Amino acid sequence: MADQPTATERFLQGILPENPVYRQLLGLCPTLAVTNGMQPAITMACSVAFVLICANVVISLLRNLLKPHLRIVIFTLTIATFVTIADRVLAAYLYQMSKTLGPYIPLIIVNCLIICRCEVCASKQSPFIAASDALGQSLGFGLALVSIAAVRELLGTGGLFGYQLLPAAWPDWVIMVLPPGAFITLGLLLGLVNWYSARKSGGSI
Amino acid sequence: MNAIQRTNLGQAWLVLLLALLFGMSLAGVQAALGPKIEENKLKETLEKVPVVILGQQAADELNAKGETLVITPNTVAVEKGPVTKYYTLYKADFKDGTLAGWVVKTKGQGYADKIELLVGMDADAAKVTGLFILDQKETPGLGNKIVEDAWRAQYSNKETTTPFKVVKLATGGVNEIDAISGATISSKAVTKFVNQAVSDLKPRVAQFKDSDGKGVQ
Amino acid sequence: MNYLIDIVLIALSAAVINNFVLYYFVGICPFIGVSRRVDMAVGMGCAVTFVISIAAFLSWTITTMVLIPGAPISSFIAGFFVSKEAAATVDLTVLSYIVYIFSISSSVQFVEMYVRKFFPALYKSFGVFLPLITTNCAILFACLTIMSNVAGVENPADAWDLGRSLTLALFGGIGFTLAIVIMSGIREDLDLCDVPEPFKGAAITLVVGGILALAFMGFTGVDSGLRKAMTPAEEVAMEMSVEPIQTAMIEPNLQQQIRGIND
Repeated sequence: MADQPTATERFLQGILPENPVYRQLLGLCPTLAVTNGMQPAITMACSVAFVLICANVVISLLRNLLKPHLRIVIFTLTIATFVTIADRVLAAYLYQMSKTLGPYIPLIIVNCLIICRCEVCASKQSPFIAASDALGQSLGFGLALVSIAAVRELLGTGGLFGYQLLPAAWPDWVIMVLPPGAFITLGLLLGLVNWYSARKSGGSI
Repeated sequence: MNAIQRTNLGQAWLVLLLALLFGMSLAGVQAALGPKIEENKLKETLEKVPVVILGQQAADELNAKGETLVITPNTVAVEKGPVTKYYTLYKADFKDGTLAGWVVKTKGQGYADKIELLVGMDADAAKVTGLFILDQKETPGLGNKIVEDAWRAQYSNKETTTPFKVVKLATGGVNEIDAISGATISSKAVTKFVNQAVSDLKPRVAQFKDSDGKGVQ
Repeated sequence: MNYLIDIVLIALSAAVINNFVLYYFVGICPFIGVSRRVDMAVGMGCAVTFVISIAAFLSWTITTMVLIPGAPISSFIAGFFVSKEAAATVDLTVLSYIVYIFSISSSVQFVEMYVRKFFPALYKSFGVFLPLITTNCAILFACLTIMSNVAGVENPADAWDLGRSLTLALFGGIGFTLAIVIMSGIREDLDLCDVPEPFKGAAITLVVGGILALAFMGFTGVDSGLRKAMTPAEEVAMEMSVEPIQTAMIEPNLQQQIRGIND
């Protein structure tokens, strides 16, 4: 299969050209829910990365042993196991953060991004390629989360990571850290990315 | 197609094996981290008990001396007509056995979601010594100002003889609490929980003190 | 009476105040993907509401009977191996996520088979959405909320019963249907609008969703007001049990309450 992308290509594709959030619109639930601050966004990105990489490698190792109809069940089992591990580790070492993220950590189980990567890539490729694909996708996911969180936290509280960056006279746009701000920020950023990529490719989308 | 993939029996064994493997890894994680998680949950409250009773400064001094308060949790049921309300009441003693005070953990509906808080009282429940908000999801920038030190300080060292009341533009009257502008409901909710906790538990504190006699010198 | 108030408030909170889609962001994928036409949105909403109720029933039963420490089934089984006291502390909540996701996917499978066999007409209208539902966050979210209200409470007396759990799930599903139907109605009209090219599709849907979320924010605080209005005056008096707060600085609705007490 000569036309199959190599590991490096898959890694690079995940970051921008096939960004899970901006391009594929996958995993929007955590993208909207935990981006009211940089810290929860980064923690979420790391948890998703951990689950995605582990699940992708395990699925890829099992790819020749499973009948097709059993596939989804095993995907779910694997993902749920790794999510539980991530959840426990967070509760043990970052207790406050795990309280802040609340149900959104267990909700990684039904994050379409992970199921989709397991199905599209890991169930067909070798562990090494699957891992690099997962790494690229989770970097892209993290990038998207951080970009949204940066806009929301900066406009909503006037700072990043709790440090004041904008002048004190900045009236905090509280709405940005509330649910409506999440929808609007993601919508505008999505439009911006579309516009930019259309301009770069020189034609209309 | 290899042998495992071809037969149903092979698949069944594979699924069983995987389930066993994952189950064991989860059990391992739980065995390793479970105690730590429990400790975290407990510490969250217990760490705040000295601060709420003694104030930040005295609690820091106590810490610097390397001493801690001895904290015993109790569950108290308060019957109110058809409803029974449960409180967790922490009894805090100094190392030498002197009763330092009491902390009540209580919870109720705020503006956006539940607010969970700790109310500190001195040994006779004659004074509210402090307040700490454990958990809240009030509106950022408005209602979540209830966690700020300056606002919470209004509850420190106040007699429990009169209930607290929320006032817009406090004039310094007895037990008046300044309403946070734009978040009167949050301010009132917190004040209501404090008043309820104090009035429900003030009589109980006396009972507790007498019954075990540990705190009475 | 108190139970009724609780149920009404849980229902209202799940359906509008803390709407699953617009406040908790669960079920965003169908909210964007399946909200092109009103009839599709209604079908999806019905399917989710149906499955979410079944999943809630299963997860409440399993959590209470098996997972939490001191649950009847797990302590009965553990009783064969260890002492009775040790058996009562067996805590299986670490398995909860796996158990929930499997109860969801199996109930989706069974519902699909059942509906296809016995209600072919119904299956035609919303059957196609059923397989998609397994990965719908709203359902797992309902299970998790139920779990945190059953296993995460400090006093066992505060734990939710089956009625509360089912109310949460049913009205959560209704809230999801509400949000997705409103959205699809807007999108049908949006097709006729002159949307800038890069914003067509998901981007403008998200921005509109933001405005919808803003509108739903207006419901915040309705629940505490409602609780106040529904609680009979003598119970308010009992609950306060300290002297009523002075009337001078109280907002109108509370003033009415207190007048009610004094009368």
